[in-house]
Amino acid sequence: MTRTDPHREGSKGIASQRTRRSDAPFFLVMGGISSCFLLLILLLLLADVLFTSWSDFSAALRKPEILAAMRLTLLSCTVAALLSVWVATPLGYLLSRFKFPGRILIDTLVDIPIVLPPLVLGLSLLILFHLSIGQWQLESFLRDRLGFPVTFRWPAVVLAQFSVACAFAVRTMRVTFDQMSPRCEEVARTLGCSRAQAFLHIALPQAWRGMIAAMTIAWARALGEFGPILVFAGATRMKTEVLSTTVFLELSIGQLDAAVAVSLLMVVMAMAVLLILRLLGAGVAA
Amino acid sequence: MMNRTIAVMLGSALLLISLLAMLIRGDGNRSTTSTSHDKPLMVYCAASNRAVMEQVRQAYEDEFQRSVQIQYGPSQTLLSSIEVTRDGDLYLPADDSFLEIGRSKQLVAEILPIASMQAVVAVSKGNPKSIATFADLQSSNVRLVQASPEGTAIGKVTKAILTNLNRWEELDRATLAYRGTVNEVANDISVGAADAGIVYDAVLHTYPGLEFLELPELSAGVSQVSIGVIASTQQPQAALHFARYLSARDRGLLRYAEHGFHTSAGDVWADHPSLSLFAGSMLRPAIEETITAFEEREGVSVDRVYNGCGILVAQMKGGQHPDAYFACDNEFMNQVHDLFPQPVEVSQNELVILVQKGNPLGIARLSDLARDGIRVGVGHEKQCAMGWLTQNTFREAGVEQSVLPNVTVQSPTGDMLVNQLRTKSLDAAVVYLSNAAGSADVLDAIRIDGLKCSIATQPWAVSKESRYPSTAERLFTKLSSADSKEIFAAEGFQWKIDPSKSVAE
Repeated sequence: MTRTDPHREGSKGIASQRTRRSDAPFFLVMGGISSCFLLLILLLLLADVLFTSWSDFSAALRKPEILAAMRLTLLSCTVAALLSVWVATPLGYLLSRFKFPGRILIDTLVDIPIVLPPLVLGLSLLILFHLSIGQWQLESFLRDRLGFPVTFRWPAVVLAQFSVACAFAVRTMRVTFDQMSPRCEEVARTLGCSRAQAFLHIALPQAWRGMIAAMTIAWARALGEFGPILVFAGATRMKTEVLSTTVFLELSIGQLDAAVAVSLLMVVMAMAVLLILRLLGAGVAA
Repeated sequence: MMNRTIAVMLGSALLLISLLAMLIRGDGNRSTTSTSHDKPLMVYCAASNRAVMEQVRQAYEDEFQRSVQIQYGPSQTLLSSIEVTRDGDLYLPADDSFLEIGRSKQLVAEILPIASMQAVVAVSKGNPKSIATFADLQSSNVRLVQASPEGTAIGKVTKAILTNLNRWEELDRATLAYRGTVNEVANDISVGAADAGIVYDAVLHTYPGLEFLELPELSAGVSQVSIGVIASTQQPQAALHFARYLSARDRGLLRYAEHGFHTSAGDVWADHPSLSLFAGSMLRPAIEETITAFEEREGVSVDRVYNGCGILVAQMKGGQHPDAYFACDNEFMNQVHDLFPQPVEVSQNELVILVQKGNPLGIARLSDLARDGIRVGVGHEKQCAMGWLTQNTFREAGVEQSVLPNVTVQSPTGDMLVNQLRTKSLDAAVVYLSNAAGSADVLDAIRIDGLKCSIATQPWAVSKESRYPSTAERLFTKLSSADSKEIFAAEGFQWKIDPSKSVAE
């Protein structure tokens, strides 16, 4: 935590003692301010823990509806996060490396899911899939021609999560590529690499840490998604119910104990998955 | 590094495919484990009804092996989804005002009442703030929360009844916060963020830590919970089957009562109910088509008995009690008023003199029927409303004594007289205009002017002893719809139902 100045190495003990004395208030203030936020989060979790009991928590875990919601949450969040990274990596790279007509517009469009109220996004998805263009409708086409209905089914859950999560992933990947010097890729191209080879050989391996960060953010955002899911996928038990909708449903009939138990379950799941992703990111970076 | 990059890319793609396969398989498993032999029913249900609805759904699926998928959410959000997707079979909002909105947008067809809820004041168990009167809610040491008067049913109801009493503004000033749903109000009191709140009594069933107080100021605050059939449903019979189950007094209503709702007398449950209807013969051409369509949509049978109203009344007095009675005239409904206490006047029909095409005998008024040699047919004065009205009309016109010698036939129904006219065994008959509707090619109708008593009014009523009052009410809703009105008009009837009170426009 301390930084040493090489020019002052070997200076007198009194001076160094003065430095140590002046650092303490610094860390006290900085740490104090930081710990306020950490304390708030800890107190929130503590309040939840105190509000519920182990029996409520284990009862929630035993309910088949909650287990189904947990399974769907894990699967859909992971699919949404993986898809987000797959989409965000090329899009972030293009936005970072190239100047082209309409770039500002695309940059702005990418941010729209971030700023839109979640319910609006859900409603927009619902309208998109049911907008009739003449006799043609996207939902009818997918359902009747391809046998793959979306609305009020799990694909709607994934799509709702992906729509928001991907916007955050794109932002993260763009920052990642912005921070990487294009020089190495340019050198590789002078040595005969194509753009694709330079991207695969040079850019992608350097962007691993950013990709893990993008995946982490996308997964976390997907986990917390609620409004668009409720509107676009609904909250059908054992079908489109994810943990965030479970909390809403339990609250709506006054089952506060169950709602808090499921909330804590989400906290545990989120911490476990985010920790794994962070460790994975550290491993890849190493 | 290249190999590693491609390996990770391939790995993530494989992981993605595997996860998608798991989602698809999970979805498929749920479909196959469903015991449904039909397309699952899709119900949009207010989240606040989840506890009771889950019990009913489970019982229904067990009893009929038909899958019911329930979409929970806020009432308005669900209505918006229905409006956009035009999908689903049934809609159960927290308050039936949403169903009326749905009906006005032609999103909802039938509405089946289920139960009602009473506005009350919720407090923590033991009433720690000792709230006993309306004035106590305005005390400075009582933190009062309410549901939004704009967005929630309870908020709307509370504001409306208190505004009528000129008490709204004082309560508004005393309100600490307005919440988005009635459950949020209850949750606030439950976690100690508020001391009191106005909620529905039934909502508190799932809050063991709360109790409620009934205040006289809120006694008029009652909301109805009903279920509506979505107009665009592809399976109306199945949808109505579940809706009838939910609103049956010995099925779904039992669960609603257990959850603190106030239930009224719904239908007795029957998988395929058989509704009995007594109706005057004159009404047959006007109602038959509508009843057939009703049977097909509802999956129920309507056993119609068409006859002269005098005969029908005699049968009812003899012990036969139909679920509904559609009389030819108020006079006959009045004779069984004890069985049918709340009749509604639907249509009117006037008596006419029916003669051969071209009116070869030159009959222009009632007195012409008294001419020598004219064979006249009339309704039987005891057996049908038409005969009773004809006698009254003759008496009023002062031709009773002169025409009766020419009456060669007294029939219980107008149709029989029409047939006799068509076979030329009669020269004239006094029948309803509707009786002549299908014979304009061979018969002419001559109006009887200036005699109010020649006009019959047809009332409809549901028996107070009916086992299926709700189904009978829905049949009436169909019979009073715009489509039915057109048929009545085509058959020569005049519409009597006040459009502002019509329930099926």
